[in-house]
Amino acid sequence: MDKDAAAPLATREAARAHKARRSATDLLIDVVLVAFSCVMVLPLILLVANAFKSPAELLAWPPTLIPIQPTLENFRAVLSDTPLMRWIFNSLVFSVLSTLSILATSAITGYILAKFPSKIMTVIFAVMLATAIVPFEVYMIPLYFQVQGLGLLNSVWGLLVGYLVMSFGIFLIRQNVIQTIPDELLEAARIDGAGEWWIFLKVVLPLLRSALGALGVLAFFQSWTVFAWPMIVTTTRESYTVEIGLALFQTGYTVDLGRLSAASAVVLIPSIIFFVFLRRNFVKGIASTGLKD
Amino acid sequence: MLHRRLWLFAALAILPTLAIFAWVRLFPIVETLRLSLHKWDILSRNKPFIGLANFQELMGDRLFREALLNTSIIAFGVLIVTIPLALVLAALIHHRTGSRFGPFNESAIFVPHIVSLVPAAMAWKWIFDAQLGPLNALLGVFGIPAQAWLFDPVWSIVCIIILCSWQALGYAVLIYIVGFRSLPESVFEAAKLDGATGRQAFWHVAVPMLKPITLYVSVVTLISAFNVYAQALVLASDSQGAPGRQVRVLVLDMIENSFRNYRVGYAASEAVVLLVIVLSLTLIQFGLLREKGRR
Amino acid sequence: MTTYAAFTHALRRAAPAGAVSGLVTAALLATASGAMAQTITVWSGYPELAPFYTHVAEGLKAENPGLEVRVEAIPLREHERRIALGLTSGSSGALVLEMPGSTAARYIENELLPPAPDDIEAFVRADGNFNEFFIDQASYQGEVYGVPLFRGQGALFYNTEMFEAAGLTAPPATMEEFTDYAEKLTVRDANGNPTRSGWSMRLSGGGQGIAEKFWINLHQYGGALLTEVEDGKWKADFANEAGRKALGQYLENVHTLKTVTPELPADAEAFEREQTAMFIRESWVVGDIAAKAPDLPYATAPLPTGSIALPAQLYVSADGAEAEAAWKFALATNEPENLIWLLDNVGWLPNRVNVDYSPVTDAKPGFSGFLNVPEDYVFFTLPAIGPIEEVLTRLAARLVEAFGNASLAGDDAAIDAFLAEAAAETNSILEREGLLAQ
Repeated sequence: MDKDAAAPLATREAARAHKARRSATDLLIDVVLVAFSCVMVLPLILLVANAFKSPAELLAWPPTLIPIQPTLENFRAVLSDTPLMRWIFNSLVFSVLSTLSILATSAITGYILAKFPSKIMTVIFAVMLATAIVPFEVYMIPLYFQVQGLGLLNSVWGLLVGYLVMSFGIFLIRQNVIQTIPDELLEAARIDGAGEWWIFLKVVLPLLRSALGALGVLAFFQSWTVFAWPMIVTTTRESYTVEIGLALFQTGYTVDLGRLSAASAVVLIPSIIFFVFLRRNFVKGIASTGLKD
Repeated sequence: MLHRRLWLFAALAILPTLAIFAWVRLFPIVETLRLSLHKWDILSRNKPFIGLANFQELMGDRLFREALLNTSIIAFGVLIVTIPLALVLAALIHHRTGSRFGPFNESAIFVPHIVSLVPAAMAWKWIFDAQLGPLNALLGVFGIPAQAWLFDPVWSIVCIIILCSWQALGYAVLIYIVGFRSLPESVFEAAKLDGATGRQAFWHVAVPMLKPITLYVSVVTLISAFNVYAQALVLASDSQGAPGRQVRVLVLDMIENSFRNYRVGYAASEAVVLLVIVLSLTLIQFGLLREKGRR
Repeated sequence: MTTYAAFTHALRRAAPAGAVSGLVTAALLATASGAMAQTITVWSGYPELAPFYTHVAEGLKAENPGLEVRVEAIPLREHERRIALGLTSGSSGALVLEMPGSTAARYIENELLPPAPDDIEAFVRADGNFNEFFIDQASYQGEVYGVPLFRGQGALFYNTEMFEAAGLTAPPATMEEFTDYAEKLTVRDANGNPTRSGWSMRLSGGGQGIAEKFWINLHQYGGALLTEVEDGKWKADFANEAGRKALGQYLENVHTLKTVTPELPADAEAFEREQTAMFIRESWVVGDIAAKAPDLPYATAPLPTGSIALPAQLYVSADGAEAEAAWKFALATNEPENLIWLLDNVGWLPNRVNVDYSPVTDAKPGFSGFLNVPEDYVFFTLPAIGPIEEVLTRLAARLVEAFGNASLAGDDAAIDAFLAEAAAETNSILEREGLLAQ
């Protein structure tokens, strides 16, 4: 903190006045920030509140913020009438498998690209970075027909095809290897007679633990929240991911806002808890995306 | 010179990833380019080559033009809302590092970026609801007449911009905070010795030094906003028996053309246009960065 | 355009069910020898029909304990997409597909759907089972491909209490009366803004529904979105007086009289909550009201001159013994007991004629507006052409814009210009697909 640095020569009096003004400003900043933060989470709080309202209360004007007579009826109805748990399960399996695949491919490829430099590797790296720029939406339709050809529509495997690799993950690991793993370490291991696979698994991977942790969280949330791809790959109620289940939940003839909110709350709460637990990893992962240059 | 054994290992280890890459990235990208020059309706076996006819038709297609315009307005709207706001918020949060509200603020601003999109969009749909939404209730308190937010051609786009900005903000703030932390303290001290106030230091020292970060965040925000789809879909879908106005965006138009009108080639040509836009934006970013580096 | 007024008369005459149900039973017995332990999947585009198909499946299960029927009913747009993708990939197992003839045509053309086996064809063609119109809809080039099941037909739903309060004793009989009534039925706040619409019109949302609803109104004025000029050649038929009147009426109600606004609660849900006085919808609303607002005071009435009738058939995509089971299922839906259950519990109108529906129609007067129609009532349906969805979606996008454009209201020249431009777009789509009549 640089509180006192500004006025090294001031009298005690002036310093105190300055300090008071300073802390008043800080207080104001705190108030503004906290107020703004509350506005940011307000929509989510309202959503959760709606989940506890009765149909009559949802139609009341003006709308209530906190349910007057909280009810669990919406949750009960949604859990018994829709395969919500199945959708959550699908999303979970898809996200975990996608994360594992991205971690595996990124770790090995990032390592090779960093430690086995050559012209071919440079070309490979450039191509991977270039494809990273192309939005998934651009090529998802041809990819869809590839999945169809394999007969993998409406399955977690079909979903997975779109999210097996992540260019950014490879990039991230490559940077990490260059920064944290000295060539000498590898050479020393080689001199000791270690095999290449052994070096990768026993020397490199442990050193990449924190980078992989950050990447893992990123990859997980990427597939947990993906929308357009499962929207076209899954068409049976049983195979929907949570996002699609909820989106189609509401395009039926009539929509029950209370139930929809309950379903949304059931989906939101685990992801927020997950986030709170992994906040550090997460922040680190996201922050590292900004260090591209 | 690398040992042959090492080379064998490298080649074997990278091969699976390369194969996957070629299969799920390169091939479909090339296929998109190829399909954009063909006419194909999914059902029939022949896909006649029609040259640039799809692109020609796109030029005169009002739905596509509407989608392109809407998408661009949304993308730049999100940019204009998000970047300045994120910069100021990050500066304030950075200034108050160590504050006891710090973790709460950071989490609260960031959470919208990671929550599932559909539930979040639902929440906003309810907020904007003309009949029952809290936004109109709140405005009513101040005597402002109720608005049909999701039905008005202008407001419905503004609603999507707000929703997308709400989601994009957390990411931008986080990147900026990292940026602020990486700024050398000495620069600020020097500014202060020169008699600069906090605000002046922010404007004349921090903002210029953060320019590369601003560029990066801007391009990421723009590109992801160009792919807006779920937000437009959910805000327009039926709820309360009154569907909102369908704000047509590029991805929506693409999906509709391929899976509803069965015009896969035509949709592919739209995808190519999206690709060109995104590539240009990225090139502009690189160009600006390089220019900066030279100075 | 096809007339099948005779059909509704036959419905009302209600031939004794027992005599004809024998045919179904015989057909069932003929195919009952299928193998055990089969799974068929029913794809429906109407979530509210899921209980019906489950009901049929349970009935079948009694005789075929090995048969497993999975019912997957999802919203129509997603349903149509999965058919397109599922049929081309051929990886979806044994399917019973519910769709209108206009959608089925493109799959039949591409040989993705098989013709019906002989016993099914015999049932469909059997004297007295179905009206000619429905046999046509289930056929392609003279061959039967599907089993007719139900139809989406429109009628006016109106709230009798609100009508009474406004001093109206009979439903509107002409389109001019619709506007008059709408004005009288609208409830306004102190500023004159409507808080309850007099006539809920479809003004917003995504997709082709807007164009279909517009067509229903247009039809009352003698127009059509598309007309078949010669065999297989079509053209837009709404840039004319009928189109001007139909669109003019929308604009008058939205902008001049302000009897309805896009953001007011609309559709069945609003009607059930008494937030609108009348609206035009299909018969499933009768079932929906019975379930959600059983005390709602309402009645139905035929539209002034005629209605849309979108028939849905069941098609089969399967091989071998499973195909047999799938066709058996399709046939079983048409058993009198099941059709009566459908009408009673879901509310979609069954297409089979020689079944006595009177126990249901007597108990639920809501069906009267669908069944008691005048002699010269004219029905129309969506043309079975490939780009029909694109035509309707693009027109819908234009209509939404027009409905929101206050400057069009009352300006016939501007309306004509709008319609001419929209019709030109429709024709250019037809031309691109080689379907435009000269």
